[in-house]
Amino acid sequence: MTTFKQLGFYIDQANCTGCKACQTACNDKHDLPVGVKWRRVAEYAGGSTERNESDGTFRANVFSYYTSISCSHCEDPICVEVCPTQAMHKGDNGIVSIDPKVCIGCRYCEMACPYSAPQFNAALGVMTKCDFCADFLAQDRAPACVAACPSRVLDYGEVEDLRRKYGTENGLEPLPDPNITRPNLVIRPHKDAQASGRGTGAIANPREI
Amino acid sequence: MTHHDRGSAAPDAVRTVGSHRVTRRNVLRWSAVAGGATGVLGAGAWGLQSLVPSADAGVLVGKEKMVWSACNVNCGSRCPVRLAVVDGTIVRVDPDNTGDDNLGTQTILACVRGRSIRQRIYSAERLKTPMKRVGPRGSGKWEEISWDEAFTTIAKTLTRLIDKHGNESIYINYGTGVLGATLATSWPPSGSAIARLMNCIGGSLNQYNDYSAANIETAVDFHYGAWATSNSNDDTVNSRLVLLFGNNPHETRMSGGGEVFVTQTAKRLSGHRVIVFDPRYSDTAMNLADEWVPLRPGTDAALVAGFAHVMISEDLLDHDFLDTYCSGFNEAQMPKGVPADLSYQSYVLGKGKDRTEKTPEWASRITGVPADDIRRLAREIATTKPVAITQGWGIQRHSNGENQARAPMLLANMIGAVGISGGGTGCREGYAALPMAAFPVLKNPVRPVLPFFRWTEAIVRGKGMTYREGIRDSLNTNSNANVTNDVTLNSNIKFIWLYGSNALVNQHGDINETVKILSDDTKCEMIVCIDNQMTVSARYADIILPDVTTAEQVDLSAQQSAGNLGYAIFADKAIEPMYDSMPVYEQLTGIADKLGVKDTFTEGRSQEDWIRWLVDESRKAVPGLPTFEAFRKQGIYKTKLDPVIALKEFRDNPAKFPLPTPSGKIEIFSSNLYAMSLDWPMEKGNVITPTPEYVATREMPGDPLQERFPLQCIAHHFKGRTHSSYGNSPWLKEAHPQTAWVSEIDASTRGIKDGDTVKVFNARGAMALPAHVTKRIAPGVISVPNGAWYTPDNPGGLDRGGSINVLTSLHPTSYAKANGQHSNLVQIEKV
Amino acid sequence: MLTETPLVIFTILAQMSAGSFVVLGLIHLAYARTNAATMDRVSDPALYAIGPILVLGLIASAFHLGSPMRAANALRHLDSSWLSREILAGLVFAALGGAFALCQSRKWLPARARQALAIVVAISGLVLVFCIGRVYTLRTVPAWDTSYTMVRFYTTTFLLGSLAVGAALVVASLVRTRRGGEDAASALLILNSLRGIAVGCVVMLGVKFVVQQSYLSGLANNQTPAARESVDILTNTHGGFSLAQAILTFAGLAILGIFLAQLSRGKVGHRAVVGVAMSAFSLILVGEVIGRMLFYASMVRIGL
Repeated sequence: MTTFKQLGFYIDQANCTGCKACQTACNDKHDLPVGVKWRRVAEYAGGSTERNESDGTFRANVFSYYTSISCSHCEDPICVEVCPTQAMHKGDNGIVSIDPKVCIGCRYCEMACPYSAPQFNAALGVMTKCDFCADFLAQDRAPACVAACPSRVLDYGEVEDLRRKYGTENGLEPLPDPNITRPNLVIRPHKDAQASGRGTGAIANPREI
Repeated sequence: MTHHDRGSAAPDAVRTVGSHRVTRRNVLRWSAVAGGATGVLGAGAWGLQSLVPSADAGVLVGKEKMVWSACNVNCGSRCPVRLAVVDGTIVRVDPDNTGDDNLGTQTILACVRGRSIRQRIYSAERLKTPMKRVGPRGSGKWEEISWDEAFTTIAKTLTRLIDKHGNESIYINYGTGVLGATLATSWPPSGSAIARLMNCIGGSLNQYNDYSAANIETAVDFHYGAWATSNSNDDTVNSRLVLLFGNNPHETRMSGGGEVFVTQTAKRLSGHRVIVFDPRYSDTAMNLADEWVPLRPGTDAALVAGFAHVMISEDLLDHDFLDTYCSGFNEAQMPKGVPADLSYQSYVLGKGKDRTEKTPEWASRITGVPADDIRRLAREIATTKPVAITQGWGIQRHSNGENQARAPMLLANMIGAVGISGGGTGCREGYAALPMAAFPVLKNPVRPVLPFFRWTEAIVRGKGMTYREGIRDSLNTNSNANVTNDVTLNSNIKFIWLYGSNALVNQHGDINETVKILSDDTKCEMIVCIDNQMTVSARYADIILPDVTTAEQVDLSAQQSAGNLGYAIFADKAIEPMYDSMPVYEQLTGIADKLGVKDTFTEGRSQEDWIRWLVDESRKAVPGLPTFEAFRKQGIYKTKLDPVIALKEFRDNPAKFPLPTPSGKIEIFSSNLYAMSLDWPMEKGNVITPTPEYVATREMPGDPLQERFPLQCIAHHFKGRTHSSYGNSPWLKEAHPQTAWVSEIDASTRGIKDGDTVKVFNARGAMALPAHVTKRIAPGVISVPNGAWYTPDNPGGLDRGGSINVLTSLHPTSYAKANGQHSNLVQIEKV
Repeated sequence: MLTETPLVIFTILAQMSAGSFVVLGLIHLAYARTNAATMDRVSDPALYAIGPILVLGLIASAFHLGSPMRAANALRHLDSSWLSREILAGLVFAALGGAFALCQSRKWLPARARQALAIVVAISGLVLVFCIGRVYTLRTVPAWDTSYTMVRFYTTTFLLGSLAVGAALVVASLVRTRRGGEDAASALLILNSLRGIAVGCVVMLGVKFVVQQSYLSGLANNQTPAARESVDILTNTHGGFSLAQAILTFAGLAILGIFLAQLSRGKVGHRAVVGVAMSAFSLILVGEVIGRMLFYASMVRIGL
């Protein structure tokens, strides 16, 4: 079993088709009920379509791209910081985990996390979140989401290795300024990607994430 | 305990039947597991939630049995899934773990739909026991019956109707819910086990073409002589420019071993430029396109005419190609005996009947694409080589669909892209495939073959239909062979087999009219539904026979579109049949027994015997294919094949390999279509043109109906479903909720905000669903994703499910006599 | 709008409790020359009402929890979680307040010691409000991550604290009058207290109004999508509630203003005093509750 100093995720925005096979593979692996999504896919879109009212023609200058995100297992995890119970903690391999036997379900981590990683499971009364498929890791298997992606846009590993391989970008819309929590995340930008906090578009599927 | 809890959609008796069965029978075994998961799934684990068993116990090392299975639906891809089974219950789905990330040897990673297959297998809407209808058709009142009673009733009714009306009165409806299976396949109906059973007793009325591609299927015969594809997408590594006309693999053929992977990889390897022509900024456009050209639906042929005008007037045509390989582009290439000015060039230059030059300005007014862009694009397309042109099938699912389908072919002809590496024919992309054996279905002696879309009409007035209404002769169903024929349909449809099919109601045109036709059970006297889910169509059946899913039986899955990867899947039985369900082959064996043809039907073989036989047969054509036992263990067989270069032989040697058209050439002017235009009577608004002109027929831009219904409503294929398959998965409904796409421009003039509930309606029907206000669709166009399950407030009332077919028409296209389900003028308003 | 109802109840009641205790202390200080028995007779009923209100708030907060049976775990992360500190501060305030109320009712400890204890209780109440403020000054929520969150909570504390005390004083007085036990000294003390409360509230509402405007314009100038969405929620989605809150607050302000104007001209009738105290409290309480609901509704996080 390989161990890691700090695990991280890699996402390739350029080739993400927004199919959500990652999200569904995660649901399937962890038997998540509707309403609990450990991995989500946000669509960020902007631009405009101009219509020429005299001849009815139109020309589009629009952009759109997807970002698949679960938990960034941050260096400064705000969820851990604000959790009143220490149920949320940084554990083995740098994975941010929740201890369901300690969590009181106050949902303060949910309010705080700018990645929407902690997800409240109403039936269990506690927060739940991506555990990096720790049982798969123990068998040296890739997390379910990474193994699932039809477009091979996800990767995982020692975050320093990911940065060497793919670069250090991690501050793109619609994700937050990485200085807030220092996510262990590496992104390959879509051609239309915009920097965090300086976007001209908006999340196009807010009810899906 | 309520197992069916879908509000109005759930038939009353099923609830009692279901619970009765569940408590009585074989479900205890895994209901305990499902019960263990209620903490995770919530109190509704048996109700609204799917019956997905197993808590997240992690990987049960040593306890798990991994079984290869497949996702058998009609997306155009075909994915293996590896099912983790513990104590007879599937606890997880794992992806393919063979192959790599290279073209031709790729891993086949299932998409979002296949990954949710446990919610299909353990669906709360599984059909559990044979049932017969006890109220009026569609009333949802059912009574449980025994398998024996079901078999007897069906056999007796078949015998009676065949005696009285002949085998032509028995019809197997289109259905693709089990497409991909070999023995259990539901498509084509004529290749299904049901067809085999019917052929044991004199055959049944067959159909030609399908909801997906009927207009191109007919039109391509006239253009290229017979069914043709374009090159396979892996060949676009050799292209400098790729044009996609409404082709959207990233939302349709979504497999990570199929066209998503192939198009992404080919683009990465070659750096070719991609232009997407589509009313929607599709996910394909988002990922692949260097340029998105939004245009009005159904106007691609006008755009191509605009391109042609530029190419003709600026002398950018590939004259050599047109002279050598084509017939009827210009007046010099016309067949003998045809009046002057009927060539395509005459049409473009305004010398045809309409005396209108098809200038870029003319095209821009119709398509919405600015004239300057048309000029620029035409020049780029004509001066870049090679150019790969493919079309998706959305562009031809229009009231003028035949000409729509031919327009990209014509464009490929004008630039001489056909039959060369890096080029293409303008048809849908092709793919290399292993020649796996099909299940033998014996011979169907019935001569008349119905255009698949006219079965509702054939219930009411099928008797007497001839070639002029699209009836073909089963001896040769090629379009060129049925310009005229001497077969007549001699009966209305009296019996419908509905296997793995939601096309009785949900996927057919004009749901409200269709339901009206079905409600009279003196016309079509019996509808037998074999399915594993209480689909919308199952609600309108007379007898329901609960089928198993792919995971509950052994079968082979032949491959589908995956570039140049050849593969086949051994879809093994992972779990025992659930409830009182039974594999279709066993069901039909039971009916065959009642009909006295059991031995003919089975040839003494069990399902597993047949699979063994099919593997042996396939090994004759696919020498590398492992033996039955080895294949079963291995689960998937892959081999790298050559790219498809469509019509290469013809291009290389047109004299030796002429096309099967009357002229042996590409018929830009089809002499057979010309003959039909003089002979075939036309429905209102329909017209046959021998060249791929733009025709503004029913519900196209400019239709006076736009005064009442100003918006064009299309129905893009949706990531959350394959047509209607998977349409009841809670995970998928959450990931990809049903909404109506509305442009920001059209929404703002109507005061509609993203997420508002809107009513979409026309004279045929109405639905209510949330609006998705977006920049990603052309103004004047809305799109309601295809396949959502029809859920009316009351019969004929407002559909809350958002099923596009409450808005579509039964009006057939001009000569394919097919569906134009994207030609719908509608209005939309906030409710 | 009905989001986080348990938290709306908890924060409002906790702040009202803390404010009430402090205001009662201020009355004691301001009218220190008043006869001790009169003072106790007037203020004790209000004092004893604080405890149940705080406890009610704490109970309400438990309804917010997914697993309330484990609520004690909330105290496990004092070194970095303001939520842990908030809960601890709430418990400390409740315990000390309860102890003080017990001493006051039993007249345990000398008066000086009780006064010292009262000061400690008041400080713990203000610390609780501070902790609540820090809980919501979340750096990932632009609508909350401003100094206005703290200002908002302290103005609520003092507004509702003083108006609740005012209402409690007149209600207790009414009860005593009914029983024929009210004396002139008490009545005068109550009237004087109400005058002070009215002046204080008018000033606080003025401050709040000014600060709120600068908050809203600051938020409107914040270009992050989260801030824009919060503004949209406050002005469009729930614009009606924002308006209702403003109207209620101004109505309360108007009543207090008229009361002060009448006072400056002469005596105000007993019934009018009761009416003023009750209506101003009710109007501003409802306004504050709506304001707090808007506060939670405006929660839009940056990022996803």
